[in-house]
Amino acid sequence: MTNITEKIKLSLSKRQRSEKRFKFLGFIGISFAILFLIIILYSIFSQGQSAFKSTYIELNIFFDEKIIDVEGKRDIEDIKFANFRKIITNSLDNYFPEVEKREEKRKLHEFISSSEEKNLMNLVLSNQELIGKSKQLWLLASSTIDVIHKNPEMERIVESDRLVDDLELSWFKTFKENGNLKFGFNKNFFSKADSTEPEQAGVLGSMLGSFFTLLITLILSFPIAVAAGVFLEELAPKNRFTDFIEVNINNLAAVPSIIFGLLGLAIFLNVMHLPRSAPIVGGMVLALMTLPTIIIATRASLKAVPPSIREAAIGLGATKFQTVNHHVLPLSMPGILTGTIIGMSQALGESAPLLMIGMVAFIVDIPGSFTDSATVLPVQIYLWKSTAARGFLELTAAGVMVLLTFLILMNGLAVFVRQKFEKKW
Amino acid sequence: MGFWSFFTLLCLVGFYVNWYGTTKALRINSNIEKGPKLPSLPNYYGRHALLSFILVSTTILLVWIFLKPFILDLLLENKISVDLTSSFDGDPSMLIDTIKATDPNNFFPGTNPLIIEFAKYYEYIKETSDSYVYLMVLSVALIFSIFSLRKISISFQARQSVEKTNINILIFCSVIAIITTIGIVFSLIFEAIRFFEKVPFFDFLFGLAWSPQTAIREDQVASQGAFGAIPIFSGTLLITLVAMSVAIPIGLLSAIYISEYANLKVRKFLKPVLEILAGVPTVVYGFFAAITVGPFLKDLVSFFGFSIASESALAAGGVMGIMIIPFISSLSDDVINSVPMSLREGSYAMGATKSETIVRVVLPAALPGIMGAILLAVSRAIGETMIVVMAAGIAANLTANPFEAVTTVTVQIVTLLVGDQEFDSAKTLAAFALGITLFFATLLLNLYALKIVRKYREIYD
Amino acid sequence: MVTVTSNNIKIKSKKISVFYGDKKALDSINLEIPEKKVTSLIGPSGCGKSTFLRCLNRMNDTIDICRIEGEIFIDDKNIYEKNLDPVLLRARIGMVFQKPNPFPKSIFDNVAYGPKIHGIVNSEDELNDLVKDSLKKAGLYNEVKDRLNEPGTSLSGGQQQRLCIARAIAVSPEVILMDEPCSALDPIATAVIEELIDELAKNFTIVIVTHSMQQAARVSQQTAFFHMGNLIEVGKTEEIFSMPKQIKTQDYITGKIG
Repeated sequence: MTNITEKIKLSLSKRQRSEKRFKFLGFIGISFAILFLIIILYSIFSQGQSAFKSTYIELNIFFDEKIIDVEGKRDIEDIKFANFRKIITNSLDNYFPEVEKREEKRKLHEFISSSEEKNLMNLVLSNQELIGKSKQLWLLASSTIDVIHKNPEMERIVESDRLVDDLELSWFKTFKENGNLKFGFNKNFFSKADSTEPEQAGVLGSMLGSFFTLLITLILSFPIAVAAGVFLEELAPKNRFTDFIEVNINNLAAVPSIIFGLLGLAIFLNVMHLPRSAPIVGGMVLALMTLPTIIIATRASLKAVPPSIREAAIGLGATKFQTVNHHVLPLSMPGILTGTIIGMSQALGESAPLLMIGMVAFIVDIPGSFTDSATVLPVQIYLWKSTAARGFLELTAAGVMVLLTFLILMNGLAVFVRQKFEKKW
Repeated sequence: MGFWSFFTLLCLVGFYVNWYGTTKALRINSNIEKGPKLPSLPNYYGRHALLSFILVSTTILLVWIFLKPFILDLLLENKISVDLTSSFDGDPSMLIDTIKATDPNNFFPGTNPLIIEFAKYYEYIKETSDSYVYLMVLSVALIFSIFSLRKISISFQARQSVEKTNINILIFCSVIAIITTIGIVFSLIFEAIRFFEKVPFFDFLFGLAWSPQTAIREDQVASQGAFGAIPIFSGTLLITLVAMSVAIPIGLLSAIYISEYANLKVRKFLKPVLEILAGVPTVVYGFFAAITVGPFLKDLVSFFGFSIASESALAAGGVMGIMIIPFISSLSDDVINSVPMSLREGSYAMGATKSETIVRVVLPAALPGIMGAILLAVSRAIGETMIVVMAAGIAANLTANPFEAVTTVTVQIVTLLVGDQEFDSAKTLAAFALGITLFFATLLLNLYALKIVRKYREIYD
Repeated sequence: MVTVTSNNIKIKSKKISVFYGDKKALDSINLEIPEKKVTSLIGPSGCGKSTFLRCLNRMNDTIDICRIEGEIFIDDKNIYEKNLDPVLLRARIGMVFQKPNPFPKSIFDNVAYGPKIHGIVNSEDELNDLVKDSLKKAGLYNEVKDRLNEPGTSLSGGQQQRLCIARAIAVSPEVILMDEPCSALDPIATAVIEELIDELAKNFTIVIVTHSMQQAARVSQQTAFFHMGNLIEVGKTEEIFSMPKQIKTQDYITGKIG
């Protein structure tokens, strides 16, 4: 007996070592997973947070009456079509009077964003007494200047690889040293839609597009899914047909999202000729995708309600339908709502099927209805990433931050609903 | 009449019908002094009329939505006069599309004035047809509700009728899932068949060259495209393989740690954190893969003297693996937890250490369930679109080297369809052929995975 | 406390108390288990006998909320000492559970599990002999000798339990603990196991928990009666059942309580 004990003792230390190694391995596994998450979030936030500020340049703007209102009539149409670009370029020329060659002047004129022409026009329209006077104004810089301002290490790169040449760099430094260059809040980010110029692009268009699309998704999928879930769980006889329906629903839940996009393309667009790029089509496609999720959540919540409630109702003479409607369904609402919110948050992040049905277009207008062309936030992120201009990089990351914020809010809401209202039977 | 005004009117009439039915029932009840009252509660009578109203109006509206384009085209065709066809200097079959595409308020200078006229006509019938239909809906639905209102009497059991209708509505809602599946299969097959009329089936399935070019116009001398899908399938497989080699070790080890070693508080914290990885939208992963991982790998690998594409399978597959980690860890965790405690106790009582118990007893017992989880994860990886669209290559490349750029089925589907393509060309139809392959592949994987998991559950329940 | 004398004491428990969270399950148990004899622990449901059994091989360590006070000496060594490795302890003390729990492996691998992980055997042949030997000692060999590669779960309930016994004795433990080993078996299988216990007692110390008094009377030489977490009385089996000294013991035996 004792030599067996001896034998066991011999292998014991080796086994304890491998026990420790194994536990460590498991720990490493999960540490990697969490590390990845942290790295992803960090890289997004570090790249995106600079998008919330813009670069502004201070210039002395002379509202030359000869340019704005030659005839002196103060006619609104005249003012609207005046050449405000000249006003801006004049100010720039005055700042650097030594610049004479046309080629160089052109480069200087690109320092200010083209959107400022319209802003100045609106300023003059509402303050006509400015005509003929001068004012110090902070104007939005163009994206290239913004990029240089936010990435000081770029100054050290060789000129041929840099975004701006040495001359432009010297102007930039002059503005900075004179105190005429500053960071301000990026007003365009939350108020504008897509644009060719990064400094003018914003997420409002895609946020509204997402809003309209999700609204359609909710309106279409929620009632149908809950109805289907109620039927399958409470009222359906157990036969081969209902089994078949169940198998179908489980399969749909696992179909890749791009297939739904193909379905939308083939039927909604080509057969039914619904408008491309409209939230209504996007909503329909996403509704089909979200149906299985909500159906499964509905069935799970209904299953969780104890049979005693149903028996009590039936004992009082209620029909099966009344039992479900008046008793079971209200009790399972928290679970159903939680599942719906989660389904919606998944739909919010979807982009592949929407690419298929055309919500990839370059939309500069902010959508106002369900049939206006629009894009959604994740697709906007995809489009910005695909653009070459360097200034779009931080916008893409910032767009991701906005998307993630919404998702966190929605999931937080789902957790809140679940914890506050769900009953533990 | 605009849509919203019509909709408001519809609601108002509906409310009225409901109210009238209920009131009528109440009135009948109060007029009966002795003897049986109406068999159902008054509001069921109102509800009955309302249901007729809603069902009829919804049906007509749905039919109209489907038929509208065809009817409008028909009207347009009838109106087209001979002079227009002769004066039109393009392809005659494009005539209708041209008319539809022309905006009568904002046209290109130099457009045929007849075209503009017909464009105006098209706008006109588009708007007025809606109004006619709205009117028809309101009147027909009203007529039907009047019929049901007249039915209100002592012998009419409204509640049964209402409940039966309700159940039928529920059945219809449930069947929508089937309709969707049929719709998917049907639309994919239909277009795929059109594709296979142009490109032979076995060339597609077994061809080794993929370069989808087609002649844009008939007179153009362009190279005949090659549509061999093998490089695409291999690209999908390569990226999936890379993804699985990231996700399986990390996912399984995480699951083991969470279910066997972590104490309750840590477990409560770790599980939701892993779920976050599952909740991040795939476009975010794609962004991360393209902007951060791609360049990072490039720098890292060239530091060692090798070369790697910036759109390598390693970058795309690696990030996809990260996305899949929670799939494997969550499902495996559930499976490991459901292995009965009695097996573990039997092993501990023998003097086995925890790791020995896990490796020799728990994991073998949980293996079928874990295999099912892995299969489901593979199916997810194959169908994933955004990460590969943003981080993987577009050119087909038949290789097993993860440092090179490859393309996948999903990337090709997107590339073929996002762009200005004539819908009938072999190029766009190829996307549907790829789509249907993808659909069946994932379907088979899922069915098989579910079968395994179900069989496993039977052993232990 | 009455003990069975003229034998060595294998296990001695000193003031063992067990807490599940705040609830006290065992109160200061002092019990001696004689070597190479069968001791049975009896008492009504929930009296703590299984809990006490599981203290003997530190199986209660696997339950998070369980807290143990006191000492247990096996061969005069305290097993609740700080540095004692439960792995080694459990190799010396085998356990058979209420519901047979063979591993989802072949019959051969079930029995070979212990020897393999502890590194007891040096060759394939030694392992084969050891498995054969254990199965014979458990009285199962003849029934399964032709199908050693079939899964352990394909056996009947009684056979599975004997497989678990074979598995336990394959590492030559000194003590075998049995937690109601026959409660999931039919009478015939029970009789087979009881006969086996008789045989095994020649070489092993056996502690068996049972809620069948008849079984305790049949198989054991010493009996300990537990009630509500307390050890009420312990002594020679015939004396406990014919002339119990405590009223509670009397009540339990006559069926008044439990």
